[in-house]
Formats: sequence, structure tokens, C-alpha cells
Amino acid sequence: MSTYAGDRTTGFASPAADSVEGPIDLSEVLDLRRPSRYPVRVRGATFAARGILDGDVLIADTAAQAKGGDLVVASASGTAILAELKANKGQWWLISGDNSHAPIRVDPAQDVEIWAAVTGVVREKP
Amino acid sequence: MTVYGLIDCNSFYCSCQRAFEPRLKRLPVVVLSNNDGCAIARTKEAKALGIKMGEPCHLVREQRKLSGVQWYSSNYPLYADMSRRVYQVLLDHAPRVEPYSIDEMFLDLTGLPGDLSQRCDDMRAAVEQITKIPTCVGWGPTKAIAKLANYIAKDRPEMEGLCDLTNEQTRNRFYRNLPVSEVWGIGRRLAARLDDTGIRTIAQFVNAPPAHIRKIAAIIGVRLQAELRGESCLQLSEVAAQRHGLACTRSFGRPITTHSDMSEAVTGFAVRASEKLRAEKLDAAHVSVFIQTNRHKRDEGWYANQASLTCAPTSNTLALTAIAMRLLRTIWKDGFRYAKAGVMLNDLAPAGTQHTLFDIPSEQDTALMGTMDAVNQRFGRGALRPLSAGVERSWRPRQNMLSPRFTTNVHEIMEASSF
Repeated sequence: MSTYAGDRTTGFASPAADSVEGPIDLSEVLDLRRPSRYPVRVRGATFAARGILDGDVLIADTAAQAKGGDLVVASASGTAILAELKANKGQWWLISGDNSHAPIRVDPAQDVEIWAAVTGVVREKP
Repeated sequence: MTVYGLIDCNSFYCSCQRAFEPRLKRLPVVVLSNNDGCAIARTKEAKALGIKMGEPCHLVREQRKLSGVQWYSSNYPLYADMSRRVYQVLLDHAPRVEPYSIDEMFLDLTGLPGDLSQRCDDMRAAVEQITKIPTCVGWGPTKAIAKLANYIAKDRPEMEGLCDLTNEQTRNRFYRNLPVSEVWGIGRRLAARLDDTGIRTIAQFVNAPPAHIRKIAAIIGVRLQAELRGESCLQLSEVAAQRHGLACTRSFGRPITTHSDMSEAVTGFAVRASEKLRAEKLDAAHVSVFIQTNRHKRDEGWYANQASLTCAPTSNTLALTAIAMRLLRTIWKDGFRYAKAGVMLNDLAPAGTQHTLFDIPSEQDTALMGTMDAVNQRFGRGALRPLSAGVERSWRPRQNMLSPRFTTNVHEIMEASSF
């Protein structure tokens, strides 16, 4: 396909011909090609205080090690949720963003598991 | 010493579905073939309910004991992306990886420091954490042994997903107790012929005189014998060899009875096949078209035919479609209910290397095809296609139980509710 990128001019040679860098590729910035990166759509706004709104796209990383205070995507009672991770007395808990739910203890035996750590957020139409 | 590994994803298609839907974790899951026909992947819960590989979904679906089964149409865009992820994780653990099939990869584990069992266990854990797909790993001095080790790792829960066949004594113990049909490349027919000469276990196969094996299974058999003895004959190939042919075939969602519907379908196959051709930068010089009725419903009338034509090497959609249409006209017969058709391209060679004197492709053609591919890349497959490929396409394969394409389409990604 013919694409003009600021380099191959027809009359005067472009002084920028050797300096073309192309547009910014956000999937590269967000490192979406990494096998551990998954985009996840948020439903609900209980984490509005942390800047996460309904419809936002989270960048979830299944290889990243989440620590206390981090946001995580987790599975609990068969659904995926966005929650804050908190350590308490040697155990991990999933905390609601607006205290609308009681904390849930992370326990793979009860199918409450951390799926991925949230490493970024994208908003298409603010 | 060379060490090959084989890592295999457990119920790969089902595991891909489970990765993004936590509610499926303990439920029986079945993925169906094209057209929602037969079971092609089952979780262990589904196997325990007695669902067999290849079982037609519509025959068993209504059974009360299967009411909890989660059926899915095959979602190949999802499986392809998950396969890529598995492959990339593996590259962090082994210097060379051969993607042997969508759910199995050979590994070069030669000379890696540390305990190999520990390494393979770490590798399994990493694949499962990152892709959510459980796997089994087997390894040994040859590819055939690695493949067998993988089978043992998968088949015997007490192995906990790992099987090391680097040791000859260990190998011989398994060889004495395993049927020869478990060897990579020994199919049912070959196994039956071996059985006729008294060869039932792998040990019997390995210890048989090579001349005898050559008579039954030709050079392939002799090579397998050597591989199973620990002499490596098959190398790791990191990329697929150049194709000799390329096909696009489908079963229809409903029988096709008119020439116009069939023309649409065959045009669609020619379009897709030429796209694949261009993606691999190849030209084809031989085109075949086939059509056939349902083999299992011969009482409705049985007809199958194929026609082929040699042409000037090309990857041009419009040229290949025109040839496919001509071929279809020569084999089309009214009055049948067609169930399947396809377009096959052969005599492939790198694009532009074998032009004849008379058919020099114009620059415009190349540009047109490039643009068409770019548009389809951006707006989805089939966004720009010849009108003859149809608008409604009601014969398209059924995919009534398709899950979202969780990783390849931004409108279908996984959702998480804000807690």
C-alpha cells in the first residue's frame, strides 16, 4: 500500500526522510503482546476513588506479583471481579472499592483466586 | 546428551474457554467441531459423563444426565491467540521451541543447568499462571520418546503431570507394559498389521529385527524403532516447512441445493485461500474445487466430484475466484443436497518467482490485493470481498454457542465487575 509518512516527497526531498518514526503504537506502550497481558473491561464504578470508572479497559497481567494495596482481577463465586488486595494476619483479602461488600478471603480451595494484577487502565471516551 | 521435551495442553480448547469464565472451573465443558457437529475437546468432567470424542452433539444433548454440560462452538481466533501465549511463555524456559500443533510444543532441553524435573515443573506452573492452561510435560533423548513420556504424564495421575524417560531402565519398564499403538505415528491400521505378526507391546516393536519392521512399516517404522531406542532421527524444527498445498474447505450449516448459493460458498473459499496464499507470500499454479453431499445420508442421493486446472502462478483473489467458478460449473449437478465443498491451491512457489511470458501481474493488481488485505485486517475478515461471495450467506457453518473472542477483539474482552 502506498503510504506517505513524511519521507518520500515528489518535489523537494524531505529533510526528515531518515528520521521517520511513525505514529505511537499504544499496544506497544502497554506491552499487550506480552503473553501475560490481557485487556479486561470494568463493569461498575466502586473504584471511582482510585480513578477507575464503568467501561474502562484494565490491563491485567497474570505474571505480575500483586502486593497489598494493588488492584487485582480475581474470581469469586464463579465471576470475575475487580478488587483491592489487602494482607491481614498472613492471609490475602479482596476488598471492595466503596465498602459496599464485606471482604472475601483469597482461598483457592473455595475457588476464590487472584486471576491477574492490574498494571494499567485505558479510557476510550472520557 | 540431547534432551527433547514435549509439553501438551490438557483439553486445550476447553481450557481456553475456562481461562476467561471462572464459573466453568468445575463444570463439564465440551467444544464442538465446525458447524457445531461433534465433540472435539472435553474436560475430564465431560469425559466422566461418558461423552466420547467425535460424538454428535445433537444426538446426546437432550439426555438428562448431560443437562449440566457447557457446550461451546469452536472459537479458533481465541485458541490461536492462546496457543501463541503458551509458545511465548515456553521461550522463556527453553532456548528452542517447536510449535508442533496448536496445543503441543516440542522443547529443546539439552544442557540446561539444574534439575530437569524441577525445571519442567516450573515451566508448567508458569504456563498455568500466565495462560490459565494446565499442561503435562514428558522428556527423553528423542522426540518419539518425549511424545511417549508426555502420554504417560497425561495418562497417569500419579505422575503429577511430569514424566522423565531419559533413563533406559525406566523406558524399558514402560515399553514392556504399553501397547505399540501408543507410539507416535503408529495408527490403528499399522498397529493391527503389527499385531498380526505378534508385535503388541512397545518392547516387542523395539526388539523386532529392523528388516521385519521395514517390511510392515517401511522406513518410518525403522526410524521410529531407532528413536525409541534413544537414537535421535527427528530434529527440532522451529518453523513449519513451506507448504505444498493450501486448502479452504467447510461443511455447510444447512445443505446447499442451488448453484448460486454454491457459487457464493466456493467464491468465499477461494477468497480465503488466496488471502492465506498472500499472507505467506506464495503463488499457486494449480486450483481444485470439490463438492459433495452428506456421506452419512446416502438415501438422499450421493454425489461427489472434483475438478482441477493448471494456471499461471498467481495469488490474485479475482483470478483465482474466476478459475474456481469455471471449475465449479464443470462439476455442478442439480438435484442434490450438498453438505461440503472446498477450494485447494497447489503448486505453490514464492510469489513472483515463476512468471510466464504472457501473464505478468500488473502493479495495480498487486496494489489492489494489498489494499484488500489491509482493509480486511483492519475491519475484520470478509469486510471487503467480491460481491459474488454473497451478502447473506445463510449456508455459513452454524456457530450457535460461540463464546466471545476474549483476547483478539476489544468489543468482546473479559469483563470484571467492580467489587
